[in-house]
Amino acid sequence: MANKLLDALSSVGHRMSSSMRLINYYWQRTKRNKLAVFGLAFIVFLVALAIVGPFFTADPTAVNFDEKEIPPIGFTTQQSMYDIASNTFTTKEVNGTWKHPLGTDSKGSDMMAMIVSGARVSLLVGLIATGIAIILGTIIGVLSAYMGGWVDNALMRFTDIVMTFPFFLLLVLVVFIFGPSLAFIVLAIGLTGWTGTARLLRSESLSIRTREFVTAAKALGATDGRVVFRHLIPNAISLIIIIATLSIPGVILAEAALSFIGLGDPTVPSWGVILESGQHTLDTAWWIAVEPGIMLFLTVLAFNFLGDGLRDAFDPKSNV
Amino acid sequence: MGKSWLRDYVIKRLIYSIIIAWGILTITFILVRIGPSSPADKYLANIAARGADPVQATAAIEARYGLDKPIYVQYFNYMGNLFRGNWGWSFSTSMPVIELIKTHWIYSFQLILLSSLFAAILGMLIGIYSAVRQYSRMDYTFTFLSFIGISIPNFWLGIMLILFFSVNLGLFKTYYDTTLPLFSLDNLKALILPVITLGTGMLAGYVRYTRSAMLDNLKKPFVTTARSKGLPERTVIGKHVFRNALLPLVTIIMFDLGSIVFGGAYLTEIVFGIPGLGQISFNAIFANDYPVVVAVTLIGTFIVLLVNLATDISYTYLDPRIRYG
Repeated sequence: MANKLLDALSSVGHRMSSSMRLINYYWQRTKRNKLAVFGLAFIVFLVALAIVGPFFTADPTAVNFDEKEIPPIGFTTQQSMYDIASNTFTTKEVNGTWKHPLGTDSKGSDMMAMIVSGARVSLLVGLIATGIAIILGTIIGVLSAYMGGWVDNALMRFTDIVMTFPFFLLLVLVVFIFGPSLAFIVLAIGLTGWTGTARLLRSESLSIRTREFVTAAKALGATDGRVVFRHLIPNAISLIIIIATLSIPGVILAEAALSFIGLGDPTVPSWGVILESGQHTLDTAWWIAVEPGIMLFLTVLAFNFLGDGLRDAFDPKSNV
Repeated sequence: MGKSWLRDYVIKRLIYSIIIAWGILTITFILVRIGPSSPADKYLANIAARGADPVQATAAIEARYGLDKPIYVQYFNYMGNLFRGNWGWSFSTSMPVIELIKTHWIYSFQLILLSSLFAAILGMLIGIYSAVRQYSRMDYTFTFLSFIGISIPNFWLGIMLILFFSVNLGLFKTYYDTTLPLFSLDNLKALILPVITLGTGMLAGYVRYTRSAMLDNLKKPFVTTARSKGLPERTVIGKHVFRNALLPLVTIIMFDLGSIVFGGAYLTEIVFGIPGLGQISFNAIFANDYPVVVAVTLIGTFIVLLVNLATDISYTYLDPRIRYG
């Protein structure tokens, strides 16, 4: 009994140390790509901001019309005010203040607080929706490759059909039909975005299936489930990580774009929602549209840099 | 041998496309039916707001749209109507959906056509240059810029262009002027910012695809052969390498149509107020005008389907090596 436990423990320990060694190896390769390291650093910063930021910033939904459209620190704008008593417009100079470092929006809400809570939304949407899409795509791809025959045929034709829909147009239709709640938007992105993963995983599984170690495992009596979970998926994991990293920016953009066209969750101040509201005040308050856009852009850029770096690092043929 | 394999192949692709079309329509039908509110509900809310009796109106709508019939009858009616060109009635604009689309498609078409030309020509030129001068300073610059182009959200880019060129510099109107005649210089000028907005992401993508497709072929033995024959470098790159890189490139460009271009055009139209199909779908969302939203998605999907079919068939001409059984 004690022996068995020890065996199990040492096997877990061995597997962990070997995977740590692998992670270290890939990290050494990824590290050589400066842009990928920048991407990773920005993502880590963003995650930290999304987790702890909301505890330090003001309430993003607080409305204060006395402090509306204050520019970011270091900027000055002219605000014209209507005075009822004298029935005249007066122009007032407004300076950025440290109370609102990134300025305020048209309702007087603090931009910094909105950007920080928007980071939380974007990251959550990006991670969860990508997670759903990847898991679904992996299941369908592996199943298709492993079952073959009519199952493979049916699943791949279904993939073809979903793939023919332009991604964004399908998303618009689905969210329009089912209503814009954040949970549903995440689900909709996940349920429409799995097709690429399914195809890649299918071809990857087909090639891994024919390798000697899978034949050997089968000869030793491994069940189908064991082959899939112990051999197919672990060998495809680098591909899965790359697809995930490169899918997240598309998902974050999709959520922002949906919010931008008014199909976002109105109760959640995501970057897309802020951007949309800023589009109407370009001539009086440019920063409302500029700031969430910059964050969106940098986030997408960071994931693209990292994804590209990982792809090179995981590719045994490339010598980075 | 002859051409019979080609005819068989075309027929096979056609049948396959019809199956996919059936699948698309069926999925759309199911989506609309399992939605929490039926099209009739949204129509009803609209009529009730104008003071109609909800009970009477419900019965009238259900009879009018055949929603009182069994589900399989509704399914066949839906399929039949779509094939006969009866795409429903848009109540927010008071005209048949098909008429609405006929008057607006040209705006989307001109935007997508001009952006694609801009992106494809410039993208391929930069891509070829980058590949030929691999690891040069310019190559690194273009690669870096293409990362930026891919990552920049296109609707935000549009807003930034409006902010800078229209609001600050006053060079362009902030909104697309729909009174301009389609084939005029003024219209072309009005489309400059929208084309940059939609084209930048595509351009960046094409630079990367062209570069990698060129690099794949540059190392092939036939290039060495061409060079050792004493062909001028221009001919080697243009006729030998680029020709071979073109085929995978066309596939990716066609694939982009569905995944990037249509979504991007939808958003670009909204940013600039161009009255194309994206804009009418956007307006229909707010008016709860069901048939229009469905129709725009279906049109985009069918264009992708037709383009895929055309690409597959044109391959057999573009690449004589391809023989499908």
